[in-house]
Amino acid sequence: MKNEIKLSEQSKTFIENLRVYLFSSGKNSDEIEEIIQELENHLHEAEKRGKPIEKIIGKSPKEYMETISNEMAIDYRNWFKYIFLIIIGSFSITIIRDVLEGELSYSILEIIGNLVITAIFFFSVLKGFKYISTMKQSNWKQIGILLPIVMLPGALFFGLIFLNRTVDTPIINFGNTASVIIGIITVLFIIGMSLWAKTWILIVVVAFISLPGYLLSQTSLPYETQLILESVIMFGGIGIYLLIVTLLEKKKA
Amino acid sequence: MSTTQMLKGILDGCLLAIIKNKEVYGYELADKLESYGFHSFSEGTIYPLLLRMQKEELVTSTLKKSTAGPRRKYYSLTAKGEKELEMFIKRWGDLQTNVNNVVYHESGTNLRKGDETIEK
Repeated sequence: MKNEIKLSEQSKTFIENLRVYLFSSGKNSDEIEEIIQELENHLHEAEKRGKPIEKIIGKSPKEYMETISNEMAIDYRNWFKYIFLIIIGSFSITIIRDVLEGELSYSILEIIGNLVITAIFFFSVLKGFKYISTMKQSNWKQIGILLPIVMLPGALFFGLIFLNRTVDTPIINFGNTASVIIGIITVLFIIGMSLWAKTWILIVVVAFISLPGYLLSQTSLPYETQLILESVIMFGGIGIYLLIVTLLEKKKA
Repeated sequence: MSTTQMLKGILDGCLLAIIKNKEVYGYELADKLESYGFHSFSEGTIYPLLLRMQKEELVTSTLKKSTAGPRRKYYSLTAKGEKELEMFIKRWGDLQTNVNNVVYHESGTNLRKGDETIEK
């Protein structure tokens, strides 16, 4: 489809922000693209006739984005898909990693903690994106807002690990066979999920989180160095993957 | 009260009337409204309204290729939309009469009172 519309920087920024705003408000992506295309066309024709962007979207882009968003239904199926993917995903990450180390055994605190941290992360990412899409901010400020959000789960997981050492909650132990079976089911789940959601993200994330630790543990490096390297490779690798995906998406859009 | 606030609700009817007359796309619709004298509204306000009218099945849309540039979304009225337009025209007629009556008689009396004071 030929879809090359030349727009002013201001209009382009608005369109990008609208896309992010609607997406982080949980709207259906097909519907988002539809309204985006319509507005792009409108802005294009208006600009050809020398109208300023305020004549189209009014004085407050934020208010305008809200009125559009209010008329669009929330895509619960899509939300469910993402939440499910992220929750199962976060568990599969831990499970794969632990299976590589031996038998599975989790305390109740760990299981609940994982769920809670995942939920916090998910909603803070959505909130963060929605917030920066409505504001006129420099890229540095945007990074300043998103960085703590991205770091948050790491900090919370560290907290959880320490908490788990000091607080005793019942522990569920899985034997050797059960652990292997759970491991296999998890791998199948990850593959199935990735095919269903048509995304590599889970496979990439699981690989970057579980493999570096496992491979490094086979080396003779000091434990602290292993830990540092592991987190560098983990966050770096996932970060680079996300960056590439975002750039590709932008090119497509 | 600003014109924008007064326009809420009325604009829906105007959109229906324009769409009934001819299948139109967004920019055309805004342009038409302006040609009728609606200058002060932001053109983008029509899109949330169109989204709602689509949800309420008053209008449908089809994507059509345009000679130059990308595909355009054209709107046309459904049977339900035509009924809604008829009702709007009736409601608007009543409202217009009532408002005119109020405005004419009330400010009319005020004027006469004013005239009297001047004569005194």
